[in-house]
Amino acid sequence: MSKAKTSSRRDVTARVLAAILGGYALAYAATAFLSVYLPLVRSDRVVFASLSCFAVYTLAILYAFAARSALQAWLVLIGATVLMALAAYLPGDFGVRP
Amino acid sequence: MSLRQSMAGLHTWGGLLPSWLLFVIFFAGSIACFDKELERWMRPALHEPSSHGMTVDQVRDAMLAKAPDAHAIWIRPPSEREPFYWAGYEPADESAFVRFALDPVTGEPMPETVGGLFFFTLHYDLNAGMVGMYIVAIAAMLMLVALISGIIIHRRIFKDFFTLRPDANGQRAWLDAHNLFGVVGLPFHLLIAYTGLAIFVVFYMPAGIQRAYDGDAEEFFHDVMGAYSREDVKQPAPPPMSLDRLVADAQRRWGGKETGWISVHHPADAAAVVDIRRYDRSGIVDFQWTFSYDAATGELLHEQKPYSPGYQSYAWLTNLHMAQFGGQIVRALYLLLGLMGCAMLVAGLQVWLRKREARGGYGIGLVRALNGAVVGGLPVASLGLLYGNRLLPAGIAERASAETWVFVGVWLLVAGWAVLRRNSGKVARDVLVVVAVLALGLPLLNALLTPQGSLLATLARGDWDMAGIDLVLLASGVLCGLFAWRRSQPQVAKAPRVRRRLAEENA
Repeated sequence: MSKAKTSSRRDVTARVLAAILGGYALAYAATAFLSVYLPLVRSDRVVFASLSCFAVYTLAILYAFAARSALQAWLVLIGATVLMALAAYLPGDFGVRP
Repeated sequence: MSLRQSMAGLHTWGGLLPSWLLFVIFFAGSIACFDKELERWMRPALHEPSSHGMTVDQVRDAMLAKAPDAHAIWIRPPSEREPFYWAGYEPADESAFVRFALDPVTGEPMPETVGGLFFFTLHYDLNAGMVGMYIVAIAAMLMLVALISGIIIHRRIFKDFFTLRPDANGQRAWLDAHNLFGVVGLPFHLLIAYTGLAIFVVFYMPAGIQRAYDGDAEEFFHDVMGAYSREDVKQPAPPPMSLDRLVADAQRRWGGKETGWISVHHPADAAAVVDIRRYDRSGIVDFQWTFSYDAATGELLHEQKPYSPGYQSYAWLTNLHMAQFGGQIVRALYLLLGLMGCAMLVAGLQVWLRKREARGGYGIGLVRALNGAVVGGLPVASLGLLYGNRLLPAGIAERASAETWVFVGVWLLVAGWAVLRRNSGKVARDVLVVVAVLALGLPLLNALLTPQGSLLATLARGDWDMAGIDLVLLASGVLCGLFAWRRSQPQVAKAPRVRRRLAEENA
């Protein structure tokens, strides 16, 4: 086994947490974002946004392990989550548009 | 660490942890493809084709006699795969639905059995309600992750597809098998994992409804499905219109196809509503074209429009998962692909084991014990359930839960055996022998106890749905017997060969 393979227990734990919690947070924010901004009627926005959440979650989990470091994984996931959540939740009247 | 190395680590551990759970889900789901045929097999009263003389009105009266103040009663007329009435009611307090399968000859409820529905429930919530649903969802997410990381690791996908070296050392042969089953089944596995998650998406991801509908799920479902409902007015109902006449009217309106579920909401109230749904398997999506009538006057209150594009897509995805289209061919294909998924999981577990047996490592005993307990225990317990179905007396109370206890008891027995003998190397052979004996014995028992459902009788009248179950049991018995015999032959030690190292081996 190569040297590069051995990663510390702390690093692995941090990545696992980033994948599970950060990934779900990102999927949640992305679903809220899409259910506001997709160019469809309201019910269809919700359906398609919800159906895409598993793809977002999967990619986020893969990314958490592919990222250069656990810290980077956390920063990117949190950053993307915050951006999408802000866009989804700040403009009040967008959510209920027809 | 390269991308492929990091994905290999994720694939190994993310794949190992849910493996046993996924095996249960895959195995139960594969069997559940033929749940309605199993239901018939498990209810001897349905073995012989019979004409059902009951009308929908008689079934309604029977349900109302059982629960005069029911919140709603539901009736499902006989169909091709289910030649009997399903009926039931939601109690006034809207607690759990009480359902009955009615004997086509007598019209009385048939003896209780968990039926084919047992495997269906085991498949989606492990018979553990909401908690089980979330556990299954986590396993499905990890499966998606394992599939995508598997694709990333597997750069030589086409070359390996044509590689099978059963005479190579254990790890190599199992890896070939894992790759073969994984690659052949890949489109199906991706589809089944994703659509399986999609079915209960409103439970797993509430963000959309919370943001766009302020959390009002009812309004959302009204928008997408266009269902009709009417509040009760707390006044006693006048004598109701004949349901058979309403069914005839609905069939005339949609052009004479099969009728699906019929429901009467608050039947004892003046505002009672009858919903009649069409049952149509000509496409993947059936939007259950529904007509809503006033129960007393028979006035047509509402006609359901086809689903909105979003819900149509959702229904298309979920129906791809449920395999209720395309007839028995599609179901047989799903069964085979599902079992191939089981084989991929078993081979993957063996790769993990063989690699660590070769170089030493922790957790070997635990993985061996779980392999025997789950991979060996579930098929034996499933056969045990079918034995229980035939051997438990028809009249006993709580017969369905007695069947479940047979299933659980047999499984615990095998699991205990597998844990105790985990390092003997003989558990697999023992399990194969037991499965062979049980599977070969079951058609025999079936013929002895229910002659009208014996293989000879079903073949003679060309009832392939019923005969198929016995034939599959016989075939799996012979196959497991052969495997057991092969395993008990002395192994010839092979000289180690120098091989190219694969990325997968570094995982």
